[in-house]
Amino acid sequence: MEKRLIKKEMLYDVIKRISEEILVYAPVREGKDVLFRVLEEGMELLVDYPNSKNAPKNIFFPHTEAMMRYARTDRGMEISGSGEEAKEAVLFGVRPCDALSFVLLDMVFDQKEYRDTYYIDKRGKTTIISLACVHPPYTTCFCTSVGGHPMSSEGSDILLTDLGDTYFIEFLTPKGEKLLEKFGNLSEIDDTVDSIKKKLSDNSEKKIKSHIPAKESKAWLDDNFEHPFWDTIHQRCLACGTCTYLCPTCHCFDISDENKGNRGRRIRSWDSCMYWLFTHEASGHNPRPSQKERWRQRVMHKFKYYVDNFNAISCVGCGRCVRDCPVNIDIRKIVEDISKLKALKL
Amino acid sequence: MLNPYMPIPVDVEKIITEVDTKDIKTFRVVFVHEDEKERFKYLPGQFAELSIFGKGESPIGIASSPTQPDYLEFTIQKAGVVTSALHNLDEGSRIGLRGPLGNSWPIDYLEGKNIVVVGGGFAFTTLRSLTNYMIHDNNRSRFGDITVVYGARSPGLLMYKDELSAWEKREDINMYVTVDKGDETWKGREGFVPTVCKEVGPSSENAVTLICGPPIMIRFTLPVFFELGFSRENIITSLEMRMKCGIGKCGRCNVGSKYVCKDGPVFLLAELDELTKEY
Ligand SMILES: Cc1cc2nc3c(=O)[nH]c(=O)nc-3n(C[C@H](O)[C@H](O)[C@H](O)COP(=O)(O)OP(=O)(O)OC[C@H]3O[C@@H](n4cnc5c(N)ncnc54)[C@H](O)[C@@H]3O)c2cc1C
Ligand code: SF4
Ligand code: SF4
Ligand code: FES
Repeated sequence: MEKRLIKKEMLYDVIKRISEEILVYAPVREGKDVLFRVLEEGMELLVDYPNSKNAPKNIFFPHTEAMMRYARTDRGMEISGSGEEAKEAVLFGVRPCDALSFVLLDMVFDQKEYRDTYYIDKRGKTTIISLACVHPPYTTCFCTSVGGHPMSSEGSDILLTDLGDTYFIEFLTPKGEKLLEKFGNLSEIDDTVDSIKKKLSDNSEKKIKSHIPAKESKAWLDDNFEHPFWDTIHQRCLACGTCTYLCPTCHCFDISDENKGNRGRRIRSWDSCMYWLFTHEASGHNPRPSQKERWRQRVMHKFKYYVDNFNAISCVGCGRCVRDCPVNIDIRKIVEDISKLKALKL
Repeated sequence: MLNPYMPIPVDVEKIITEVDTKDIKTFRVVFVHEDEKERFKYLPGQFAELSIFGKGESPIGIASSPTQPDYLEFTIQKAGVVTSALHNLDEGSRIGLRGPLGNSWPIDYLEGKNIVVVGGGFAFTTLRSLTNYMIHDNNRSRFGDITVVYGARSPGLLMYKDELSAWEKREDINMYVTVDKGDETWKGREGFVPTVCKEVGPSSENAVTLICGPPIMIRFTLPVFFELGFSRENIITSLEMRMKCGIGKCGRCNVGSKYVCKDGPVFLLAELDELTKEY
């Protein structure tokens, strides 16, 4: 693993230079939000920003994407092409929670028997450059409760840590190291850097003020699929789906065909377990008939089913769902309440 | 890297209208490319996603048996957009197919045992596949007694009629075809599937039963088999859930931690007990 230092003002130039050669996705300001966009000339690159409004998952798993194209022939519709091929890219400025989300998404999309070619293609060709959270940005951050850390490098190819005038830059993976030369002449580190980083890391961890007993909730969830508690959590929910759309780990999708005259494309688009149609069958039967079952699914999926299947919680503690739920439903509170219910035996 | 979402082309060779109401048809399809035919290795109980471009995809159980290597069959009830489009097809049309998907009836587990097949309504399709598989010359000796109870609401709603009468003529399989209510022409058995199962009273000794049908039929059939002494490990069923990807990605069809499309659709009752009752 290569470690270097880079002057702050140099970083802008390097990223700009890379963006002239290959695709660079980076956080930019749009209105009052920060969003990941393809970095183009004249755009201002952000490095000091709390976190993006949307999770960057759309880079590998777009909101809608063409899976294949088809055209009408004498025999009916036939495939006329597959989805678009991904280009080499850099995803710059990802926060550690969002970088971790890619590791979690890999567990679903990159399985041995069925590999999701669309996701894997983009993911494989993209190098992730992350920005450690020396100052965790929000009171709603709870990454340390769910297996993350404000300065974690998990899921990143390159990690940048703000040391004041310079960034400590770690090239963590072969993919990251391949980018090393594009950074030009970087200063060598001295042996104090690691200990400085360690100190920053301990500090940032202390700044995370929100803690939830996420791992502990599993035991209760295992036994209490039927529990009056589930009647209480969804009551204000508008079923808008905001929580799932903003969530970096939610990956549910729909597949549909879009026609235009004699041609068309099969697309996939994000879907949400918060919607009633999600499990509605052609017969009219719906195994999740009300918002109660849908909210239970959301909690179960993140804190139990994912753990059963992959030994990981499917939440990175980014707090987006907490910040943007229009009726202030707070997943942290739900998990806390569950921990208090533990003693209750039905 | 093989794209698991990419349908392969198949041609509809034959369409058979199965029932009087005409809303259940069997589609016999053949592969367009030889290599894709070779690659498509399946077992009874598995399903495929059938595609009509412009309309979408639907998961449909494979109704033919691997012992019928020249084609695949799907028996489809007209329900909504895709299934209606399938029903409007003419012979010779080209459609798309992805699969085989899901697990299968557990053939290894069934081997050497007496088998009771119980089907109600049009959910009989993959049990028909299994039955054809088991009674094929190459396989018949691998299984003990085979009993089939299959029921429909009326004689006009029985599917696979020619096949049923062929099976009835065989010595090596016990057939019980029944209808809830007969008509003037019906000479066969009358009675609900659970009642007939009770009358037949298959021994639970070294036996497994496989049940598929409308939820209400399953609900009333299960107690009959418990009474006969079948354990929850020896009752097997197939679940249906709304599906899209069919490969455990779209997050739609889970029951607890299991995905019906990938870990199912076939489950032992004992396995279902472990899952949440969300289906
Ligand atoms: C494992 C499995 C095996 C099946 N086998 C058969 C069979 O052999 N014969 C048969 O007639 N039907 C079978 N079905 C049910 C069949 O898939 C639905 O009736 C069909 O998808 C309805 O599609 P539609 O477009 O006509 O209906 P619409 O109501 O227009 O549905 C739109 C979409 O919703 C999804 N969908 C809706 N209902 C269901 C459902 N019950 N199951 C799965 N997806 C659904 C499909 O993706 C469909 O494309 C099976 C379902 C499953 C899960
Ligand atoms: S954001 Fe809030 S209101 Fe909207 S679906 Fe999620 S919990 Fe319900
Ligand atoms: S559940 Fe909420 S806090 Fe957890 S990763 Fe998703 S959006 Fe972030
Ligand atoms: S159908 Fe997509 S996960 Fe089962």
